[in-house]
Amino acid sequence: MYFAFSQEQEDFKASLRNLLVDQMPTSRVRESFQAGYDKGLWKVLTNEMAITGLHLPEALGGQGFTYQETALVMAELGRCLAPVPVLATNLAIEAIRACGTPEQQAALIPDLAGGERIGAVAVAATRDLEPATATVSATSTSDGPVLDGVVPLALHGHVADLLVVPAVDGGAVRLFVVEASAPGVAVTQLPSLDLTRPVSEVRLSAAPAHRLDGDGTTTALERFADGARLLIAFESLGAAERCLELAVEYARTRHQFNRPIGSFQAIKHLCSDMAIELDASLGAAMYAAMTADEDTDEFAAVAGLVKAQASEVFTQCASYVIQVHGGIGFTWEHDCHLYYRRAKANEVLLGDIDELRTRSIDGIPAFATA
Amino acid sequence: MDIEYPPEAEAYRHEIREFLQSALPDDWQGMGALSREEAAGFRVRWRKTLAEHGLIAPSWPKEYGGGGLTELEQVVLAEELARAGVPEGSENDSLGVKLLGNTLILLGTEEQKEHFLPRILSGEYVFCQGYSEPEAGSDLAGLRTRAVLDGDEWVINGQKTWTSDGHLANWMFVAARTDPDVPKQQGISFILMPMNQPGVEVRPILNAAGYTAFDEVFFTDARARREHVVGEVNGGWKVVNTLLGFERGVRVTIDAIRFAAELDLLVDLARERGVLDRPHIRSRLAWCHSRVQLMRFRGYRALTKFIHGGHPAADSSISKVIWSEYFQRYTELAMDILGPEALALAGQGSGGVLVIPEAGTENSVKRWVDVALFARAATIYGGSAQIQRNIIGERLLGLPREPRLDGGPFAEIHRRSA
Repeated sequence: MYFAFSQEQEDFKASLRNLLVDQMPTSRVRESFQAGYDKGLWKVLTNEMAITGLHLPEALGGQGFTYQETALVMAELGRCLAPVPVLATNLAIEAIRACGTPEQQAALIPDLAGGERIGAVAVAATRDLEPATATVSATSTSDGPVLDGVVPLALHGHVADLLVVPAVDGGAVRLFVVEASAPGVAVTQLPSLDLTRPVSEVRLSAAPAHRLDGDGTTTALERFADGARLLIAFESLGAAERCLELAVEYARTRHQFNRPIGSFQAIKHLCSDMAIELDASLGAAMYAAMTADEDTDEFAAVAGLVKAQASEVFTQCASYVIQVHGGIGFTWEHDCHLYYRRAKANEVLLGDIDELRTRSIDGIPAFATA
Repeated sequence: MDIEYPPEAEAYRHEIREFLQSALPDDWQGMGALSREEAAGFRVRWRKTLAEHGLIAPSWPKEYGGGGLTELEQVVLAEELARAGVPEGSENDSLGVKLLGNTLILLGTEEQKEHFLPRILSGEYVFCQGYSEPEAGSDLAGLRTRAVLDGDEWVINGQKTWTSDGHLANWMFVAARTDPDVPKQQGISFILMPMNQPGVEVRPILNAAGYTAFDEVFFTDARARREHVVGEVNGGWKVVNTLLGFERGVRVTIDAIRFAAELDLLVDLARERGVLDRPHIRSRLAWCHSRVQLMRFRGYRALTKFIHGGHPAADSSISKVIWSEYFQRYTELAMDILGPEALALAGQGSGGVLVIPEAGTENSVKRWVDVALFARAATIYGGSAQIQRNIIGERLLGLPREPRLDGGPFAEIHRRSA
C-alpha cells in the first residue's frame, strides 16, 4: 500500500515547475494571446525535457514512463496555462495508439512524441464520436479515402501538422489521419473563449486521409476519449490548485476594515472549500492515472468520473478566485479570467459534468433499472 | 503507486474473516436486523467474544492487555467488522478504549495506567466524555465547569452537555477549569471522575429525531481523586486535544465502505419506487456514486499517510466536512425518492444511532426519514462544518485568524463583554 506519488515523481514535478516558473510567467503567457503558441517554450519542453508522450514505450519515441508522469506534466502546464500544444499533441498520440495499427503507430507517433511535429484532434464533444452526429464523412477512392465535412472545433488546430479526424465510414465512426498541408484541408483559427488555447475550425473537401486501421471498435474510441479525459482532468486540477494559491495569497495581503480579508470567515471559507474539493478529487485522479497503464476496465470505470470532478473543482476554484479578488479580479490585466476561461473550456470538452457522472453509473449492474 | 494491502495484512484479514464466520450465526445480516432487545443482548455477548480474542483494544500495546496490532492490522480489523455489520465493542468503548485508553498510555502516570486500563478493558469502568457545555460548544476552551482542590479531592461544579451515551457510563473524563485567572487554554485540567455519586445527575436529552442518544450532566460538589488528573494540573488543554487526535487514523477507509453499502440501499429504494430511470434522480445518484468513489480513493491516500507516518495539517477536518456534508446530501435524496411517502413514518426506524444505521436495518421509510433527520447533526457534532473550515483555512492554508476578543485571564473575558 503506497498510494502517493513517489519521490522521483515529486522531484520530476518540482524540476518542471521550476522551469515553468522561470520561463512562463503570465506576462509571457499574455504575449501569446493571438498565436496561442509559444514556439520557444515548445522547443524547450519537447527537445530538452521530452515531455510529450512520456508514457510511451521507447520504441514509439517515448521515455518509458507511465501515465502518472504524463499526468503530472499536464498538471504543471495547467498551473501556468502554458500556451503550448502539449494536450493537443498528446491527444493525437492517444488516438493513434488506441486505433492505429502497430505500423501506423510506429510511423506516426515518434515525430509527435519528439516534438518534431504538432498533432491535434478534431474532437471536442462526445457526439463527434457518434455516427448520427459526426460531421465528416469518408469516401473510398482509388487513391484511398477522402474526407468531406466541417469539424467545428480542434484545440490548437491552427498550429498542427497532423490532424486526427473522426468520420462516418460505412455507418460507424472511424478515426482518420489528415496532413494539415494536404489539398482540401482548410484550418481557420477562431476567436476563442480560452485565450491561452485557441480553437480552430477544420474544413475538409475531398481531403486525402489515412484511416487508422487497428482497433475500429467503439471501445477503442472510448479508450481514446478516456485517455483524453484523464489528461484534461490533471490539467484542470493543476490549474485549480494555482487558483487556490492566488486566492490565498491575495486574502493574506489585501486589507479592508483594517485587517487582512482572509481573516474574515466569509473569505476564509471560500478558500477552505477550494482546498477541500481539491483534496477530495486528487485520490480518484491518481487512481485513474495508475489504472491507465494497468487495468483497462477500472480505467474505463473512473476516467469520466474523474474528468467530471476535476472540471467541477476547476470551475469552482476559478470562480472563487475571482470572487476573493473582488473588482480587480474582473479586469483584463488580472490573471483570474484566464483560469476561468480555461475552466469553462475544459468543462465542456468530451462530456460535461453531469453527462460524464451519469455515464459512469450506466455501466454498473447495481444501477440497472430492471 | 498501488492500493494493494501487503500480504501480511491480507493474511490478517483472512484470519479475522474466519473468526467472524465462526463467531457469527450463519444467517447473520447485521445488528440492524435484530430487535432492540436482541441487539442489546447481542452487544453484551459480542463484547465478551471480542474480549476473548483480544480484540477490544486492538491499538493498545500487549503489555496493557491490548492487541498490539500494527496500524494496518487495526485498519483491516475495523474494515472487516464494518463489512460484517458488527460493533467494535460496547457503545462507550470508542470513548473509553480508543480515546481515553490511548491518551492514558501516552500521557498517564504508571499508577493511572495500572488502575484504569484493566478496568476499561474488562468493562468495569465505562467512560463518557465531559467536554461540551451549554456555554462552550465550538469554543471548547471557554468551558466553565469548575474544579477546586479540597484536600485530596477535586470538587467539581458545573454542567456538561451533548454527552454521548452518558446514561450508560459510570465514569467521565472531565475537562474542567482549575485556574480562571490565566488565559483560557492555560487553566484547564483533565480529570477522571466517577459518576455514581450524589453530586452527579444525568438527564437524557430528547433529540430532534425523537431519540435519546446523549445527555446533559450536572455536577453539584461532585468529587474526584486528586491523583486522577491526567497530565499536568492546568495542562489539560493539551490532553483534551491529544485525545481528540485519536479519533482519526484507523477509520480512514471505513467511510467509503459504509457509504457504498448505504448507496446500494438507496439505489434499491429508487428501483422499488420505480424512479431509478428518472433523469433527475439518476443524475443525483450518479453524484452520490462519484462522491463515494472520491471518499474511497481519498481513504487510500489517508491510509498511506497513516501507515507511513505523518498527519498533514487539517486532514481530519477535510474528512469531516466531506463525509458529513455527503451524509446530508444523500439522505435528502432519499426523501425525494420517497416523495410524499416520506410523510408517513412506515416501518422500522434506524435504532437511534447518530451515524449510518447498523447493517441489516430494514430499508423502510422510517429508516430513511430518521437518518435524514440525524444528518442535520452531522455538520454540528465533533466540530461544526464552519469550525472545520476555520481550521482548514488557518492550519492548512495559513490564513490569518480573526482578531481575538477572548485573550487575557479567563475570568475577565465575560466581565469585559458584560
